[in-house]
Amino acid sequence: MSSDVKALVLTGYGLNCDNETAHAFALAGANVQRVHINALLSKKVTLDDFQIMAFVGGFSWGDDHGAGVIQAHRMQSGIGDDLARFVGRGGLVIGICNGFQTLVNMGMLPGITAGESGSARSVALIANDCGNFRDDWVNLVAEESCPCVFTRGMTTMALPVRHGEGKFYCEAPVLETLRAGRQIVLRYADENGNPANGRFPDNPNGSIDDVAGICDPTGRVFGLMPHPEAYIHFTNHPDWTRQKVLARRAGRPFPDSPVTDGLQLIKNGVDFLRQAGRI
Amino acid sequence: MPHQLEITLKPDLPDAEGETVKKRASDYLGTTLEQVRVIHVLTIDADLTPAQCEQVQRIFTNPVTQISAFSPLPVDFDWTIWVGFRPGVKDNPGDTARETISEALGIAFKPGQGIYTSRRYCLQAHGLDVEATDRIAAELLANDTIEQWKVLSISQWRGKGGIGVIVPKVQLDHTPTAATIPIESDAALLAVSRERNLALNPNDVPTIRDYFLREAVQAERRTAGLAEPTDIELEYISQVRSDHCNHNTFGGYFRYRDLETGDVQEIDSLFATCIKNPTLALQQQKSWVVSVLWDNAGAARFDDDHCYVITGETHNSPSNMEAYGGAMTGIVGVYRDPMGTGKGARLVMGGYGFCAGYRDYDGDLKPKLHPRRLLDGVIEGVKDGGNKSGIPTTFGQVYFDDGYMGKCLVFVTAIGIMPVLVQGEPAHEKRTSPGDRIVMCGGRVGKDGIHGVTASSEVYSDTTPAGHVQIGDPYTQKKMHDFLLCARDEGLIRFITDNGGGGLSSSVGESAVFAGGCEVWLEKVPLKYEGLDQWEIWVSESQERMTVAVAPEHIDRFFALSADHAVESTVIGHYTDSGKLHIMYDGRTCAYIDLDFMQSDFPQWQFEAEWTPPALRGLCEPVLNSPRNYNRLLCDMLARPNIGSREWIVRQYDHEVQGGSVIKPLVGKDRDVASDAAVTRPVLASERAIAFSQALLPAYSQIDAYHMATCTIDEAVRRVIAVGAPWDAIGGVDNFCWPNIQYDPVTNPDGRFKAAQLVRSCLALRDACEAFGIPLLSGKDSMYVDGHLAGRYEETRKVSALPTMQFSATAVVPDVSRCVTMDVKAPGDFVYIVGVTADELGASEYYAHLGFIGQNVPQVNMAVCRKQYAAVSAAIAQQCLASTHGIYRGGLGIHIALVAMGGMLGMTIDLANVPCAEALSDDRLLFSESPGRFIVTIAPNDRQEAEALFDGCAFACVGMVTDEPVLRITGGNGGRIVETGVDELKQAWKRPFGDLI
Repeated sequence: MSSDVKALVLTGYGLNCDNETAHAFALAGANVQRVHINALLSKKVTLDDFQIMAFVGGFSWGDDHGAGVIQAHRMQSGIGDDLARFVGRGGLVIGICNGFQTLVNMGMLPGITAGESGSARSVALIANDCGNFRDDWVNLVAEESCPCVFTRGMTTMALPVRHGEGKFYCEAPVLETLRAGRQIVLRYADENGNPANGRFPDNPNGSIDDVAGICDPTGRVFGLMPHPEAYIHFTNHPDWTRQKVLARRAGRPFPDSPVTDGLQLIKNGVDFLRQAGRI
Repeated sequence: MPHQLEITLKPDLPDAEGETVKKRASDYLGTTLEQVRVIHVLTIDADLTPAQCEQVQRIFTNPVTQISAFSPLPVDFDWTIWVGFRPGVKDNPGDTARETISEALGIAFKPGQGIYTSRRYCLQAHGLDVEATDRIAAELLANDTIEQWKVLSISQWRGKGGIGVIVPKVQLDHTPTAATIPIESDAALLAVSRERNLALNPNDVPTIRDYFLREAVQAERRTAGLAEPTDIELEYISQVRSDHCNHNTFGGYFRYRDLETGDVQEIDSLFATCIKNPTLALQQQKSWVVSVLWDNAGAARFDDDHCYVITGETHNSPSNMEAYGGAMTGIVGVYRDPMGTGKGARLVMGGYGFCAGYRDYDGDLKPKLHPRRLLDGVIEGVKDGGNKSGIPTTFGQVYFDDGYMGKCLVFVTAIGIMPVLVQGEPAHEKRTSPGDRIVMCGGRVGKDGIHGVTASSEVYSDTTPAGHVQIGDPYTQKKMHDFLLCARDEGLIRFITDNGGGGLSSSVGESAVFAGGCEVWLEKVPLKYEGLDQWEIWVSESQERMTVAVAPEHIDRFFALSADHAVESTVIGHYTDSGKLHIMYDGRTCAYIDLDFMQSDFPQWQFEAEWTPPALRGLCEPVLNSPRNYNRLLCDMLARPNIGSREWIVRQYDHEVQGGSVIKPLVGKDRDVASDAAVTRPVLASERAIAFSQALLPAYSQIDAYHMATCTIDEAVRRVIAVGAPWDAIGGVDNFCWPNIQYDPVTNPDGRFKAAQLVRSCLALRDACEAFGIPLLSGKDSMYVDGHLAGRYEETRKVSALPTMQFSATAVVPDVSRCVTMDVKAPGDFVYIVGVTADELGASEYYAHLGFIGQNVPQVNMAVCRKQYAAVSAAIAQQCLASTHGIYRGGLGIHIALVAMGGMLGMTIDLANVPCAEALSDDRLLFSESPGRFIVTIAPNDRQEAEALFDGCAFACVGMVTDEPVLRITGGNGGRIVETGVDELKQAWKRPFGDLI
């Protein structure tokens, strides 16, 4: 596969989805490198060499003071300017779970309120209403005509959530702004693709407006609580043994596509960059 | 002057943490609270300027959701409860806050300065009195083993102006000293042993004295500046000789007598006879067995390029004292074993087994923690320990029995993966050489875990560390794990092992044997606080540490990598070929022992074992006529605590991180029915996977521990076969948890019987592993599962656990696309039973439900089982089974229901067609727990092929899958005995724990 798109996957300090996220980018055709947070902070590695950056899942700094809070502080104070430049020159950023929490705490998402340095925090991801960490698969619906480059052409998808602090919260005017800008990329839904309307467990955490993922106004910075990198092989899906039996009996091939929902989402980012003129 | 920052959610935001407290106060204590809000408190014991304070406040406060102040926040309450750690207890949030503040402000904390976290709960409730509030503090919010609390009413609060500032700082004011121990007589040494909690075995004392009195030894010691043994030397000997480290019980000499026949069997070491020898023999036959019986975990071949490693541990006593910290330390601790296997393995999955008293226990006994609270804490400890380690917890089990009120069991299992070669050398091999540096990596050393639970009887003061019960720190360990893998891949690690039981004394002592000696400089060991004696540094069990041997030429690169990963590493000595364990402190020798002394002839432990067969103990089958109301019986059986759904636990555990999940712990259409086993791809580029399962059946020990063990192994084996593992390449891990087996007429009058149970279970382990061809890749034992509990008349009663063995089974699945799950897939499929149902209800759930034990304990016919398992494996490989499920606890009725619930389809079953050894009544057919059986469903098109594969096996079609989701069972006399909606069955199954999250 061509190695023209260079992806940086963060690692270290308690992050724990770096290997599979890197694997997903490799499957999506990117030239991927796992980079320790310290390597960026110490400028041994610079963002200049990359086109996509992934803030991955995990428990950065143990997440004891609010998920993603310390990582956001360290990244903002260490390489906040580099990140702003990276996005400014057309780089893509995806934040998954702990990465989403980090982007939100840096203000890079939703990126609508100006702060002292770059953007200020305007939304939050707080403790799940159910009061506990939860691992379960969710159905998601994508916003139509949304600027997000990662979900282009996707309408629904199934992905796992695995978090204790994923409840999306913001004040009403902020939510209005996000809706108006079509920045609410993904919403939790029922199995028929209708919004979950806050109903547990379809909406696993009590997020307002069923928000599962948002992007910045450019659509190039994207964060989501579900884990696309955890659905990059057909056997990751909880129902695959059933679907396989039913497909076999109906004479249908299984899996019907080599590209799973999670991989498609990552691939969209890589493909976007590969289009002429973007890299 | 300390600064105290209070942080809480904005008043209009719901407080999920507070809601959980409110719900538990109602559910557990019957106390109604109107509102609970939680305030997080950061106590900064350092001099900060107002500007620095403001900066700290900005970092730790989310402006969107939180408010904060350096003074008490105006949150309304009738009562407020402050809960903070005791001095010296691991405060993980405090540590990360310290790291962050230090970095953000560019300041270094001075010795003695620190940051501590605590919580303040604001309770609103009508008529809540001080007793009820204190009960909430003591029974819900805090554990006095590790935490302190204060309760104030609103009027008291106003009077005092708040809780005040509490700084749980450790101040020892102690100059480290190495003491010498008099050894003029055995009695004198034993007296010191008792005084210092050394727990030396009286039989070992003459051997120890003899060594130190030898002329040659004394001459050598004089040159090192030593005479009588030092405390550090005796502490070392005590650690190495402990049952925990040395497995004296399993290595003991057993005289086993059958009281019925009078036959006597002498067994010199259960370990050698039943575990080591059979496994070594199997290793000769099975080329995939790579490394067993010597390292921290066993290694088996995964594919041409990788080995997987596995081990299982228990953490019972600490969890019994402090459930959360104990269980967390257990899971985080067992994860260091694969890291310390060979040159180091990457962790890829974990498993758990919890045994506790019933959640709704309301009898006379008063354990330190009520079983419900204990289980909550254990579950949460493994959750935080596992999830924050980034390792999927893919399989587990929970078993309730009153016997675990004395001491709970917490089993933790870890699997890792390593390359076959590291820089061209076998990764599973490791050794130290003279000149290699001894490097300690990870956490720092405090008084943690010194002398384990014996320390719990010490009196607390405000500044003595309450460190004997520990809290794991998965964050520090995860950083270390990532670092060590990088160091391994660069070829910088020659030897690695973890610091668990015994701390440095074990890890350095064991690793020095390879080189032939070591010299340790104890003053180099980084400490959490000053004032530890040399022996304390040497035996402390402070967590999250590994000991690594690094060649001198690799030290610079090793330390550069360590710094890159923000991991603390320290050279604390070097390996030598002196033959001596040589420990120094500030240039003075404080220990100088011949390494081979520990291999010398200490007396073997001796046990008398007396077996009274079940009939002689008066056990017999119950007199029981077949029931008539089977619908109700089936639902009530499904709702038994040892059968009901455990979804609430599974969902708290991240079982998919690392991206390799193939078969999850919950499967089926609604993803809520327990899978037989877990399947995980540890290498994402490969289509191969590891199947993993565990089983425990302690109830059978009530009749015969031999059959307890064989049935447990059989269940674990069937579980992995059911998901698609090849039947003939299964590896095992045994974990024994037994009550004390040393006879004492007063304190352990049935010790000889318990010893006989242990002998029988070990023989069973040998027999089953030989018959099924299972090498034991790893195993551990934990003895003394007994407790003395206060009763209602202020008496204490000894409570012993059922003899328990957990067995874990693993196998490599060559092609994940062939895996199957247990749920029915399609209407019109045929339902088959594999295996024979016999009159084997002794110690079954059904008998227990009716208040019986019985006598006919299930027995495994291994030759018959092997044939059936080969057929099931072949049928799965050829894709002719749509679903496969073993029949386990509760029997056919329960498991037919579970299979239907998995697919949310109905079934019609005719019991007349169930293969059985003799004519059995309907209740026996439905609830017998005969081993070796499966329920499989087969598409009409695959029927012929499947029947051919099962030729010669007990294999019969007993019914059909129906679209209408109703379970219909016809009894032996042709009448319909069960007709219940699958929905209703599922509701019953979820009844006991369905409202827990």
